[in-house]
Amino acid sequence: MKDTLTSYLFLLPFLLIFLVFLAFPVFYAFYLSMHEVRDLTDVFGGMEWVGFKNYLKLMRDARFWWSFLITLYYAALSIPLGILVSFTLAVILNQPLKFRNAYRSAIFLPYILDVFVVGIVWTFLYSYPYGVITRLLMKIGIKIPGLLSTPGTALPSVVVAMVLKNCGFGMVLFLASLQNIPRSLYEACEVDGGGAWEKVRFVTIPLLKPLFLFMVIIGIIGAFSAFAEFYAMTGGGPAVIVGNKTFLSTEVTGLYLYRNFEQLKLGYAASISYTLLFINLAFSYLASLSMRRRFV
Amino acid sequence: MKKGILYILLTVFTFIVLFPFLWMLSTSFKPNPEALSLRFFPKHPTLENFKRIIRDYSFGRYFINSLIVATSAAFFATLFASLASYVFAKKEFLGKRVLFSLFLSSMMVPGLMFMIPQFAIVYRFGWMNTYRAMVVPHLANVFGLFLLTQYMKTLPDSLIEAARIDGASEFQIFLKIILPLSAPVIATVFLLTFQFHWNNFLWQLIVTTSEKMYTVPVGLAMFRSAHEELYSLKMAASTLSIVPIAIIFLFTQRYFIEGLTRGAIKG
Repeated sequence: MKDTLTSYLFLLPFLLIFLVFLAFPVFYAFYLSMHEVRDLTDVFGGMEWVGFKNYLKLMRDARFWWSFLITLYYAALSIPLGILVSFTLAVILNQPLKFRNAYRSAIFLPYILDVFVVGIVWTFLYSYPYGVITRLLMKIGIKIPGLLSTPGTALPSVVVAMVLKNCGFGMVLFLASLQNIPRSLYEACEVDGGGAWEKVRFVTIPLLKPLFLFMVIIGIIGAFSAFAEFYAMTGGGPAVIVGNKTFLSTEVTGLYLYRNFEQLKLGYAASISYTLLFINLAFSYLASLSMRRRFV
Repeated sequence: MKKGILYILLTVFTFIVLFPFLWMLSTSFKPNPEALSLRFFPKHPTLENFKRIIRDYSFGRYFINSLIVATSAAFFATLFASLASYVFAKKEFLGKRVLFSLFLSSMMVPGLMFMIPQFAIVYRFGWMNTYRAMVVPHLANVFGLFLLTQYMKTLPDSLIEAARIDGASEFQIFLKIILPLSAPVIATVFLLTFQFHWNNFLWQLIVTTSEKMYTVPVGLAMFRSAHEELYSLKMAASTLSIVPIAIIFLFTQRYFIEGLTRGAIKG
């Protein structure tokens, strides 16, 4: 009992902040999602109870579903590309090469930088018609319009920037796992006449399956919280017309949520955030299911 | 021969990864009329851009704000997490398991979900445009708690017993034994929280409306919407945000890489 008392004294600062700023918000977000701001001069005082109206509106909100699709598209491009690049780098850097630590640090470095600032730098490189990437591509004869201002290329351009920024992290995760693979498995593969490719194909890839899956899951969760890269590089644009409706070709869900927040539609923004929570939980649950199946 | 190809591939790829930052650096030393030239090395290298953003556009102030926010947040978050980790690792108390899984489960919640309620709380507390608003909501660092608890569990109990027999109080044990022995992980948590807050753009953007409280990225966001065409200045401001954290990384990368990978795989 004496232990319990002293323990809570040690826990107090952490617990207090946790309760006020992490636990309470989960419930408060739900409360907010059941309300909507009516009086812009008294944002939180003048909220009106609307029940599930925000959620019903969300279900019929074409712009929300569009942003959902764009987020999936962003995930579908960036996750496979990211895994391919970081896995290849890890396999290469797992060899006894000179300066491998220097390569590793240099490639990892951009991962710890601010997404927003990195986005600003890339926007400068991509800018039309004077950005260095635009001009280099033109020099080698590729005629391109503004990479970030054309619907077809805007999102892939963000993907390239983000994959190059983040691949160092995946690389380090893969490297850590590669070092745990017993040498004897590779030797067995050699005995069976396998070369370098067979070793990767039949030993490395099957053994790293859980890690691939893990990276897909954190990739999806990451895509659903993506915000700063699009805020910095495209602002959601350029516009694209589908049917008789105008949509924003890079407006991911995180950005759409922010736009609602910005216009002080706090209740609506909160209902989007709750939807994101369920998407996250669903994917994490799927991940834990498929992980479990592997070990049975 | 085959190794030669690997070296070339790696070098080219490393160059591509670092290219945006090299270009940013070189542009930040170019006079603005030269900013769009394809020449990498500035023809007339100048420090004028840095002088102007610091003097005329108050990025000096923003830089200090960023520094204050990131340092104080890292200090308090690490302190609170170490205090809590000590009892999670070494004590038995009522509600221990429930609390720990409650803490861990909060990591499943997307950050965007915390944003709106946290904003509401900060707003109601009247904290808008203060350092408190930027720092306090993020002081319960669950990820740090997890790393520190895992590590402190491996410290031998006999040391704590010995100190207790010598009459040390719980707080003395924490301060004199647990903290020094956990130094590497504490450094990791400190650096990761510092980096998190240095880069915590979205939150800093929504809790500041007064220009005096801008941090470097927030200042950059405002600057670019006002001066789209001042490329050299924009790149100088970006350099101001990127170079300090990059230098810290180069000297302490072991902590960064270990902390981030351990957290990801076990977390």
